[in-house]
Amino acid sequence: MRRLMFEARAQLASPVRNPRMATVIGRLLGLAFLLCFGTGLYSHFLQQPLAWMTFPTRPARLYQFTQGTHIVAGIACFPLLLAKLYVVFPQLFQYPPVTSFKNFLERASIALFVGASLVEITIGLLNTYQWYPFPFPFKQVHFALAFVIIGSLIIHIGVKLPLIMAHWRAAPTPESDERHPVDTGVVATVTTAAVNTAEGLPRTRGVTGRLLRYIDSTPALPARTSRRGFLATVALGVAAVVGLTAGQTFAPLDALNVFGPRKKGVGQQGVPVNRTSAQAGVGSTALAADWVLTLMLGGTERSFSRAELLALPQTDVDLPISCVEGWSQMASWRGVRLRDLVETAGGSPTTDLRLISLEQRGGFKQTEMGHEYVSDPLTLVALELNGETLDLEHGYPARMIAPGRPGVLQTKWLSRIEAIDA
Amino acid sequence: MNTTYTAPVLPSRRMFAIRLALIIAGVLVLAVGAYVLVDSVALRRLPGLALWIGAAIVLHDAVISPVVFGLGILTRRAGHRLAGGIIVTVQAVIVLGSLMTLIVLPAIVAQRIGPKNPTILPLDYALNLGLFWLALAVGGALLAVWLYLRTRRANQRPSRLQS
Repeated sequence: MRRLMFEARAQLASPVRNPRMATVIGRLLGLAFLLCFGTGLYSHFLQQPLAWMTFPTRPARLYQFTQGTHIVAGIACFPLLLAKLYVVFPQLFQYPPVTSFKNFLERASIALFVGASLVEITIGLLNTYQWYPFPFPFKQVHFALAFVIIGSLIIHIGVKLPLIMAHWRAAPTPESDERHPVDTGVVATVTTAAVNTAEGLPRTRGVTGRLLRYIDSTPALPARTSRRGFLATVALGVAAVVGLTAGQTFAPLDALNVFGPRKKGVGQQGVPVNRTSAQAGVGSTALAADWVLTLMLGGTERSFSRAELLALPQTDVDLPISCVEGWSQMASWRGVRLRDLVETAGGSPTTDLRLISLEQRGGFKQTEMGHEYVSDPLTLVALELNGETLDLEHGYPARMIAPGRPGVLQTKWLSRIEAIDA
Repeated sequence: MNTTYTAPVLPSRRMFAIRLALIIAGVLVLAVGAYVLVDSVALRRLPGLALWIGAAIVLHDAVISPVVFGLGILTRRAGHRLAGGIIVTVQAVIVLGSLMTLIVLPAIVAQRIGPKNPTILPLDYALNLGLFWLALAVGGALLAVWLYLRTRRANQRPSRLQS
């Protein structure tokens, strides 16, 4: 067994499997994880703010940027995580498998780290496809696993710190053609078949032996070619997965967007849709002739029909719909400035509001809007989109559009706006 | 291994303190994750999550990694008369194509199942994936031919200086 484990490690030894490469790829992967964690927390608290929180409303495309970064960094994790696992793969065959309780904890934490990371990026990707083949809720698990992963990452850095620091910079004179063992523990300088049989170990018999000899006699690549090829492949992998999908949020890459789950300009009035009127169950109520928007502010209630809203001064703004799934679409909106409407209805734009939609079901039929968005001149009760009457799928008769907020909080099919008493 | 690598970068007591602090902080963040999980997800869902995490490890360690290892052996065998750069090019084409397939295949499946509205997954992902493989193959072939010609020219020089 021990010999098998040793041979596995020797066979898996490669010029790219060394602590320096683990540090190089690990740094990039760690950075991607931290970007995802930071932008993910921002998105989470925008949707579920703590009582004391207020958020910047400018730049107006802030959420497009943070959530676009979340998805781009998340997809970049696929090549980076696979590359990192490739570099450290021989570690799996350490012998004995567990040397001490401490070692057991370390290996268990690595297993959790790897498994949780793979699941996290996979369900994140599947969520952008709106496909949920897993037996647990996406949002809660994605959020909880983020802490599991960042915690495991900090532990991992703590455990590996001496190795990371020793390999933070490249060695001053890299050896030209030597095979590196992964860790400092194993002496693996297997370059040709001859070396292995010269170790004096009895030849393994049977199929395994044949397989091992076959593997042994396979020529190795020059170390420098191997390393450069590996790094080039990882770089191209990141460039490909990011470059061919990021156009769904980053307009200059739109022409290259061949794999993004959304395409700019595809949708009613040139804007993609996340939740349809059918899903929300608003088909009849939104089209009803007696629809009114009711504002309940400071003890007085006032209702506006769509015609009355259209009779108020109209404002044009260009704001993106930025979805939590990472796509975004710039659009031109026309409607009543929210702070003006609030004042017309006898309220103050410095209070927080509760927005209630006609939606029958769904977690966002009732949301809250902080006063910073209420008082922002860009925030509209939108009645028109890209020069036309708002499409039913985009929230007819009236929807909210505010700068720097996730799409799910840009409440469609508005029904009621209430002041939240502090 | 070069012995200068193992020389301590920090005094050992300070290093110990930093590592201990990191590990404690990590355990605390991990505990937050565990709490959030138990607090927000129904207990009967957790075995499914554990299964997915375990399956992800098995899928990587027992399927993806051995396949990658085998491909490395086979490409090196098949190309043993060729320059290393050409073998690496072929490997890169296979790896990049597989990576993109891994990411795009679920989109194709989800599209077949039927998205909730026509603005989700609106592109022809299967066709685009095929074109991506084609572009990779053409690009890889051009690079390989260039590398082959360069090596042959270098070998035909009278001095025959090998690196």
